[in-house]
Amino acid sequence: MLKMNNISRIYQSDTIQTHALRDFSLNVEAGEFVAVTGPSGSGKSTFLNVAGLLDHFDRGQYELDGVSVQGLKDNELSRLRNEKIGFIFQNYNLIPDYSIFDNVDMPLRYRGFNANERKRRVEEALEKVGLASRLKYLPSQLSGGQQQRVAIARALAGEPKILLADEPTGNLDSLMARQVMEILHDLNKDGATIIMVTHDTDQAREVNRNVQVIDGQLADFRVYAPLDRQAEQTGKNISAVASKNVNEEVVDA
Amino acid sequence: MRRLSMRSASMLAYNLTLAMQSFKRAPSLYFLVVLTLSIGVGLLCANLALVNSMASDPIPEKSEQLFHVSMNTWPNDDPQAEPFHILRYREAMKIVSSDIPKNSAVFYASGVYARDSASPSLKRFDSSVRATTPGFFSLTNAPFAYGSGFIKSSVMEVVIGHELNQKIFTGENSVGKVLELDGELLTIVGVLKPWRLRPLFYHATEGRAFNLTDDIYAPLETSIDLGWSIHARSSSTVSYKGVKFTRDRDVFYLQAWVELENSAKKQAFQYYLDNYSQSLKDVGEHPLAIRNELRDVNAWLLEQNIVDQKVLAFTLASVLFLCVCVFNASSLLLSRFHSAKFEVGLRRAIGASNKNILMQGITESALLGVIAGLLSLLLSWLFLKLSIKFLPDLENLAVLEPKLLLLGVLLALVTAIFSALYPLYRGTRYTISAELK
Amino acid sequence: MNFATLNIKGLIKSLLLRKFTTGLLILQLAITLGLLVNSAILAFDTREKMSKPTGLDDENILIVSTHPTSGSYRDLDYYRSIVNEDLSKLNQLPGVNSVSITNQLPIRGRGMLSNTHDIDNPEQEKADKYLKDVKYTLAGEHLAEAMGFTIIEGRFLNKSDELDFDSEAKNNIVITESLKKGLYGDESAIGRETNNGIIVGVIKDIMLDPTLPRDKQYGLFMNTIMKYIFIGRFYVINVEPGQMANVRNQVSDTILAVQAERDIFDVFTMSEHLKNFYRDDQGLSDLFLLLCGLMIFVTAISSYAYSQFHISRQKKYIGIRRALGARKKDILLYVLTENWLVYAVGCVLGLVMALGFNILLSQYISLSKPDMMLFLLASAVIFIAGTLATWIPAVKTSNIPPVIATRTV
Repeated sequence: MLKMNNISRIYQSDTIQTHALRDFSLNVEAGEFVAVTGPSGSGKSTFLNVAGLLDHFDRGQYELDGVSVQGLKDNELSRLRNEKIGFIFQNYNLIPDYSIFDNVDMPLRYRGFNANERKRRVEEALEKVGLASRLKYLPSQLSGGQQQRVAIARALAGEPKILLADEPTGNLDSLMARQVMEILHDLNKDGATIIMVTHDTDQAREVNRNVQVIDGQLADFRVYAPLDRQAEQTGKNISAVASKNVNEEVVDA
Repeated sequence: MRRLSMRSASMLAYNLTLAMQSFKRAPSLYFLVVLTLSIGVGLLCANLALVNSMASDPIPEKSEQLFHVSMNTWPNDDPQAEPFHILRYREAMKIVSSDIPKNSAVFYASGVYARDSASPSLKRFDSSVRATTPGFFSLTNAPFAYGSGFIKSSVMEVVIGHELNQKIFTGENSVGKVLELDGELLTIVGVLKPWRLRPLFYHATEGRAFNLTDDIYAPLETSIDLGWSIHARSSSTVSYKGVKFTRDRDVFYLQAWVELENSAKKQAFQYYLDNYSQSLKDVGEHPLAIRNELRDVNAWLLEQNIVDQKVLAFTLASVLFLCVCVFNASSLLLSRFHSAKFEVGLRRAIGASNKNILMQGITESALLGVIAGLLSLLLSWLFLKLSIKFLPDLENLAVLEPKLLLLGVLLALVTAIFSALYPLYRGTRYTISAELK
Repeated sequence: MNFATLNIKGLIKSLLLRKFTTGLLILQLAITLGLLVNSAILAFDTREKMSKPTGLDDENILIVSTHPTSGSYRDLDYYRSIVNEDLSKLNQLPGVNSVSITNQLPIRGRGMLSNTHDIDNPEQEKADKYLKDVKYTLAGEHLAEAMGFTIIEGRFLNKSDELDFDSEAKNNIVITESLKKGLYGDESAIGRETNNGIIVGVIKDIMLDPTLPRDKQYGLFMNTIMKYIFIGRFYVINVEPGQMANVRNQVSDTILAVQAERDIFDVFTMSEHLKNFYRDDQGLSDLFLLLCGLMIFVTAISSYAYSQFHISRQKKYIGIRRALGARKKDILLYVLTENWLVYAVGCVLGLVMALGFNILLSQYISLSKPDMMLFLLASAVIFIAGTLATWIPAVKTSNIPPVIATRTV
């Protein structure tokens, strides 16, 4: 699914050259749930940005779902981002002026779907995260956990090949964090490929693969046997998930 | 009390310093604010200067005592106008012979070529002439630099204006010198100081309201006898060979002004005129209704509608332009205050009250206003010069009186503060913590 | 330009959230449009006035305005002899077709006027007020050729019409076509007698007074200029096409060579005379256009500042959009559309303003009513000017990298 080979990302100021990523190589297969850990400043966020095509890299090769990324123009990169990747940010990054519906709808507009298709997908995605009844709400009217779930729905709506999550529970209390992780694990069980950057070692332990980034490079990695989750066959799109046991909350947590 | 005023003086100084610092931080933005406000104010002020020149009272010390005479003595029932602003010789003489007015002046406008008779050069200067009875000088408070007016209407004497004196005699005291006017010799008995009448109330008709005062003031009878032609409106029911022959014909061309010191005199004079008209009527020489009208300077100017409508229209447009400039300044200042949020939050966090912040903001805009005001004066002057190119008739009117300069600075100050009001208000609504984040 | 990527409702919503700045900009746009429309109307009106045909060969008629300065001219015979020599010398200049002298020019308001009526029908003047103010032109012998009049009936004046100075006989006169219609309708006017003389010819209308209606260009001509030589202020010279510059350079010297004690006020062509008549109208129109330019400049600054301000607050959200797959083009379109929406509202309000200003300005000057085409054109100008003003901020915004979305500062 994702193949990075000797990726380097160099920041150049007037006098200093910093290697945020240095000869970074990583392969992720479809269906894997990878946790990326490492000390702060190690470059794990940079890795995720590069993986998510949010940032460019200066050296190396990157292949995403069979497509070689280097040399692609901005238009093509944007299209790839739009179609193949679902990004989940630490601070949700919802547009505060837009309703929940409009927020989830946003990437679909850039895809070019017609109004009916978009409506269908938005409602489906919100269903999956249990917020279908709050279509018209503004983000400010929801709790942190609910906002993150909306962000997940936004990431899902376009049926991406891979989900990238940057400290998805970093701003949430433990209860909401639990719920969000539940959703991620369910998605992975149904075949989603997920790469998650996290500080939380417990979270890291729960997934089937860990990698560590230190000083811009991949350190040792351990493959954990998943605790009790089974990955289904590879290559499936994340959308092919039957509605799961995410109960809609009656009370705002 | 002393401590308080010292504190407010030092607060003012501090606020001014802060304002200067603020300007340095966003120089292009403040430059744009100052520029657009000064263009808007400058343009409006220039237009107001023109309107002011056109609408002002040219002789405020006695504008309520000077009256223009219009009479309805047209000899048939098909009048040119009712009443007519120009008179026949016979009516004019009737007016001049009355002792009710303190001063009276009856005149017509003409023109001659003038030359110093003693000069070997044959160069002649085209000069505008006011052929008038002697009362003109006292009536209009004509300012004499040398000599005085002529006493009788039939002498070969003239008074000349400052500009002509400059041209012919390079400004020296030319009383006693002799001018050759159209082949005739007349002696100068008086020279005027520079004399500006805006508008030229004594001849506000035929589009002459913005002309300069005349070059030569000659006695009326002398002019008529010398046949100096009529250069303004004249109407007649009979043909005539020249102005020489107008004394006993129905040729209307003379204008009359009288000085009536109070309402009793005015009434008396009105009665005098009406009496005269009635006497004409009694012998069948006054077919129209008796309508003798006395209008004081301002009423007469108003009646003549001399304020150029074009300038009024443009003034209106420049008011709108100023509004646009104010809106522009307002939105620029809003964006500026928004980006200064952090600093404001910090000040508030360390104890500045909303009032302090407000005063700081107002000081800043007041300073902007003063700068814009000064710049606008320059732009006003520039624009007046420019407007003469477009509307050359305004040349004599394009002056910036001191009261307009003051108006300009005040207007700039007011608009600057006004445009800052909403942005300042918005600035006080932020919560400190949000500003600091 | 894929407009489907735009969430128009969302755009409108976010515009509504910033009512103050958006409102200010809309007001500015509306006022600018209102002024633009009316300035265009003024410019077109003036152009139209100036291009009305005068009935004269404007380009090839040269006029010299002159007045003697010496008192010797009081001797009218002396005056006449000088004038005759002037005319003869001017006629000899190469390129000159004919020369004449007259007391007043066409294309002028008022002037020397006389009431005119058929001698048997003085009541005419009561029915037609324009008959009270008929332009009374004293014509030299060759005025018709000099001015290029077209005779439609009878003949123009000639030497025989010049009476002895003390003759009591009635003058022969030539009148304009509209005066003929005004006096006699469709009948022939030749031989008929008016209070001013006997009609011997009718010429095609020329523009005597542009402020009067086209069919009320009442004028009459008589050959008494020599008698009243002291009001013969204008020499009229008909010049061969292409020779105007040559002739023009020489007229002053020619006249002064005959006798130097003259003031030559002005030498100008008939077309310059026409332009001069509308000088103030043109001046006002130009002033309004200047003001328009300034207003567009100020509004463009506002538009730029508005755009810049709101974009800078939205940096993060632009980054999010990019992260979600928006291309640079999509962001550009987003920013431009935001502005265009504001312009559109501004222009609609501007229509109201334009109508309002038109009514207000009509109180002071004459102004045609606005029409839809002009309004659309003015709107286009606003859109183009605004887009140009906000182009650079828009492009800069579209270059915001998606990585901004992940920055927490």
